[in-house]
Amino acid sequence: MNPVATRPETQDDPVFARMCALLAPFNARAITITRQTHITTDLEIDSVAVLDLIMEIEDEYGISFPMNLISEIRTVGNLVEAIHQLSGAK
Amino acid sequence: MDLFDKFGHLPELRERLASAGANPFGVCMDEIVSATEALSGGRRILLAGTNNYLGLTFDPACIKRAQDAIAQHGTGTTGSRVANGTYDLHQSLERELSDFLGMSSVLVYSTGYQANLGTIAGLAGPDDTILIDADCHASIYDGCRLSGATVIRFRHNSPADLDKRLERLAPGSNKLVIIEGLYSMFGDVAPLAEFVEVKRRHGAYLLADEAHSVGVFGPSGRGVAEQAGVLDEVDFIVGTFSKSLGSMGGFAASNHPGFEMLRLSSRPYMFTASLSPANLAAASACLHELRSRPELRSNLWRNARALHDGLSSLGLQLTAPPSSIVAVRVPTVELAVAFWNRLFDAGVYVNLAIPPGTPNSTSLLRCSVSAAQTPEQITRICDTFGQVAKDMDLLQPTTSA
Repeated sequence: MNPVATRPETQDDPVFARMCALLAPFNARAITITRQTHITTDLEIDSVAVLDLIMEIEDEYGISFPMNLISEIRTVGNLVEAIHQLSGAK
Repeated sequence: MDLFDKFGHLPELRERLASAGANPFGVCMDEIVSATEALSGGRRILLAGTNNYLGLTFDPACIKRAQDAIAQHGTGTTGSRVANGTYDLHQSLERELSDFLGMSSVLVYSTGYQANLGTIAGLAGPDDTILIDADCHASIYDGCRLSGATVIRFRHNSPADLDKRLERLAPGSNKLVIIEGLYSMFGDVAPLAEFVEVKRRHGAYLLADEAHSVGVFGPSGRGVAEQAGVLDEVDFIVGTFSKSLGSMGGFAASNHPGFEMLRLSSRPYMFTASLSPANLAAASACLHELRSRPELRSNLWRNARALHDGLSSLGLQLTAPPSSIVAVRVPTVELAVAFWNRLFDAGVYVNLAIPPGTPNSTSLLRCSVSAAQTPEQITRICDTFGQVAKDMDLLQPTTSA
């Protein structure tokens, strides 16, 4: 179902740490954000806010993040993996 | 697992809206009295959210042309443009728009939504890249999806941000930049000349959606691109007949010779019934009024400035400088819904706009101005806003008008 694979839980991934920080303002119920956290259902973030967040990520990592790819991203792990892939492909 | 699970919080939102009073997204106008007034629930309502910028929907000449067209050509075309649904009325309206915009090729669509869908999906394909302003209308987003192209958003009204994102793209693929002239929610205007400079430098194409700006901006009412003096540098213009042009339908225009190929490749152009005779005749008649009566535009701007001045001097927070769209920012969705209900109870209809249909999770009471409104009606709208805002304790002291 998820075309973007999820890599094993590693605490020392700076991209994962950065995503947790970026998503923190939307964590209304103060859950622990893991790679399995669903971005739109577990956090209080609407579809437009997700798109705005993606623009920040693009600028931070100097990547282009096509909208077509965004629809395939469900979890924080998917997002982190997509950033790794796009950064690698630069 | 239920088919309707995907609607998530929508049932709850619907309930919240219903408990606040009338449903802002389900208002029924029982009778339209004029371009500026309607009857709803047995009450006379002042219309301040119609996009009827030039107020031509009840213009006697436009009504007559539409009536004559029905009598002469029938109530519907019952066919698509590529079958039995191209009438002389379609082609003559395309020629009139071509003359008005100074663009060699014009395609008439059955709605403004389809004009964006058909133009974007017709022009761009899976090998192309589209860059869209973040605040673009849903029809632009949907057109992008239908195209299968790679889609990148850039920051709203920022040519510098577009420049940066174009810079990041791998060279080679075709690039189509999409912006709007006047944005429908905040009523802010695109810096067209700066965007033209950026797209030219990167060898990209530029599409400007002038749905809200035709009839409002430019020395001859052709839109924001004309106002900025760059109309001939915009590759594609998309517009609608359902705002200034008082009808239904949409159009797309270009000087590129290849644009005519969309007649044989744009699915939203080909696979839908063509625009009806009454709508075509009304759009044509309204275009004639737009071109021959510049006073419509000056009345519109007089009203726009008066409404903007009136609302901002109350201490309400507005989203942009004066234009045909004057939107009031309200701190939360709940307050916006309550404010909207009180306005409606007091006999004033405006548009309620809430996230995710708005940029930056903003809640708005969106007014659109019409040339047909009288100065007294504008005053009444401002007074009603003032009374409601005071009752709700939403007025902040203001330092300047």
